[in-house]
Amino acid sequence: MKRKMTSRQKSQAFWGIIFILPTILGLLVLNYYPIVQIVYQSFCKTGDFGLGNIFIGFENYARLISDKEMYRCLWNSARYALFSIPLVILIPLILAVLLNQKIKFRGGYRTIFFLPMVCAPAAVAMVWKWMYNPDYGLLNHMLHSKISWVTDPKLAMISVVIVGVWSALGSNMILFLGGLQDIPKDYYEAAEMDGCTGVKAFWNITVPLLSPMIFFVLQTNLIGALQLFDLPFMIMDQSSRAWPSVKTITYLFYEYAFEKSDRGYGAAIVIFTMFVIGILTILLQKSEKKWVHYE
Amino acid sequence: MKKKVLACLLAAAMVVSAAGCGKKEADNTIRVAIWDNNQLAGLEDIANEWGKENGYQVEFDVLGWDSYWTMLEAGVSGGEMPDVFWMHSNNALKYESSGILLPLNDYIDEAGLDMSNYFDGITELYTLDGVHYGMPKDHDTIAVVYNKAIFDKYDVDYPNDSWTWEDFADAAQEITDKGKADGVFGTYCNVGNNQDTWYNIVYSYGGEIINDEKTASGYDNEKTIEAMKFVADKILPACPTLDAMASTGGDTMFLSGLVGMICQGSWCVNNFYNADNSSDYAWAKLPYTDRNGNGKCEKEERCSIYNGLGWSIYSKTDKKDAAWSLISAFSSKEGQEKQSELGVTMAAYKGMSEPFVKAYSGMDISPFVDIEDEGTLVFRPYSKSTGTWESDVSDTLVEAWNNPDKMEEVLKKCAADMNATISEE
Repeated sequence: MKRKMTSRQKSQAFWGIIFILPTILGLLVLNYYPIVQIVYQSFCKTGDFGLGNIFIGFENYARLISDKEMYRCLWNSARYALFSIPLVILIPLILAVLLNQKIKFRGGYRTIFFLPMVCAPAAVAMVWKWMYNPDYGLLNHMLHSKISWVTDPKLAMISVVIVGVWSALGSNMILFLGGLQDIPKDYYEAAEMDGCTGVKAFWNITVPLLSPMIFFVLQTNLIGALQLFDLPFMIMDQSSRAWPSVKTITYLFYEYAFEKSDRGYGAAIVIFTMFVIGILTILLQKSEKKWVHYE
Repeated sequence: MKKKVLACLLAAAMVVSAAGCGKKEADNTIRVAIWDNNQLAGLEDIANEWGKENGYQVEFDVLGWDSYWTMLEAGVSGGEMPDVFWMHSNNALKYESSGILLPLNDYIDEAGLDMSNYFDGITELYTLDGVHYGMPKDHDTIAVVYNKAIFDKYDVDYPNDSWTWEDFADAAQEITDKGKADGVFGTYCNVGNNQDTWYNIVYSYGGEIINDEKTASGYDNEKTIEAMKFVADKILPACPTLDAMASTGGDTMFLSGLVGMICQGSWCVNNFYNADNSSDYAWAKLPYTDRNGNGKCEKEERCSIYNGLGWSIYSKTDKKDAAWSLISAFSSKEGQEKQSELGVTMAAYKGMSEPFVKAYSGMDISPFVDIEDEGTLVFRPYSKSTGTWESDVSDTLVEAWNNPDKMEEVLKKCAADMNATISEE
């Protein structure tokens, strides 16, 4: 049986909607409308400046699945995710556990690890670019080496991953710290009675109880990694021989949509990327029940 | 409590951003977009003077080359466009044929301007089917800039007018060999140095990048292949490694005293004139290719690419007349003269090279001007889709830069890709 809303409930619902209206409007205009446009464009051969669209059905998608470069770029994005995600979970987790204890200068350490988050990503990329410079960079100078950090196709991806991980440490660490502080001390005390301390306690208490936070970090970082664009774009030169081994799928989209002004094909690439990310997210959500423990 | 603070903060943020949206520019502001910071000060001088006379405020936006075109692309579909902006041969045809640029014929007729006063190639570039879409802004040529200190240190003769490209390569190689211990190289030529370096070599060998009708690529032309093989075999070994060039730009290396000589365009003179060690720098004419083997330089054997920007007006601006008034001030004889005198760039107006040369006292930049009479000027190769095929070619050429032996094979691939792009125009 449906119950009628009381006038108070009605008024609450009304004001509720009023309050979220700006956000709804913003989402509609800035997110959903463009998405619809892009889906439409991906079925078109677009003219210059995205004007004069000619509907061509699935032609862009047919071209997409036979485009070797697309697979290479997708693989590059996937490789970035594979390399970076274990690191951006493990390192911040360990840091968070260490910094959750009562040690000297705790605030100082927390600030230092969080600092990269405060820097503008473009500035971070520019500074790393110079540190990586094979001839005049700080890294080679300190190591007395001649390593082509970002111009050797074998190394370039790792170098980009290092920067990505370095910049993500802070925010993930803060998230984990927040999660850690929600775990009641009694659990550890009870476990200690049973002789479970240190690393054992970490695996048996900390990790399971932190799993919702780990899940959240995993999910957001996975999506972020597959959308990687700015780091390689800023750190590397496109005339580098290593560029093809780092060029990401998002960059490929940018190249077609903005540099070659082939908006239709660019739209197809980005819709395909969205599709891939969507599938991975669904799989991840399905796995949630198996390993994520909510209290 | 925390929630309240957060809510207040959010509300404050909303008010601030809403206020940001409401900000409207005064109606007497003309927005101008350009991509070269070196020219900003000089152009502002001219624009401010015009603004004072006409009661307008001229606001310049300076963007990087890539973001400039991205901004215009987005502006055309999104609507937020500058009133006045630069056009370039890479994109001119595309913009002209899309109705984005204001046709200027009526204005030109009314003002009684004689377009033959400007360099023909530039006027032609900004004219489509008899309609003028831009006023010529400037023209540019290429010359060699060298660091006398490096040449002295390694006891190599300075570049001179009798140099062929072979001589250029030999001298560069000598510096690279002798400077190995100091990390100094003879010259610098990356895949992206087309207009300032290897395009010139291709044309002086008698090759071409695109045919005259703009219907086919010239990368499979025998002469082009010969020229590019020369680049691969003789120029590249004298350059920093490919990895080093991908990490550090040519100008940066030259200005840091790590490269002996590079080819550069006249639009960059300012950059070298104002550099810390500018007293060490000198300019020389581009070398030639002795195609007929008579030991003398014929006019067509010394080629410089030339190009010129145009001033265009957005067709949907609501300040058309004022915008025209501004660009005609830039392109008028007086404006062009002033642009030269201020040393911004060489004028698009013929016969004004003298003030430009004089603008740089203490640095002889006559090689840029002399090549106009003593050599051949070739207009920078373009077609409607220059932007696409040019970036495709540089991507593809990376392989040849990496394996110089593969140059011919790679060029054939460039030609095939470029022909495919052109056929879709």
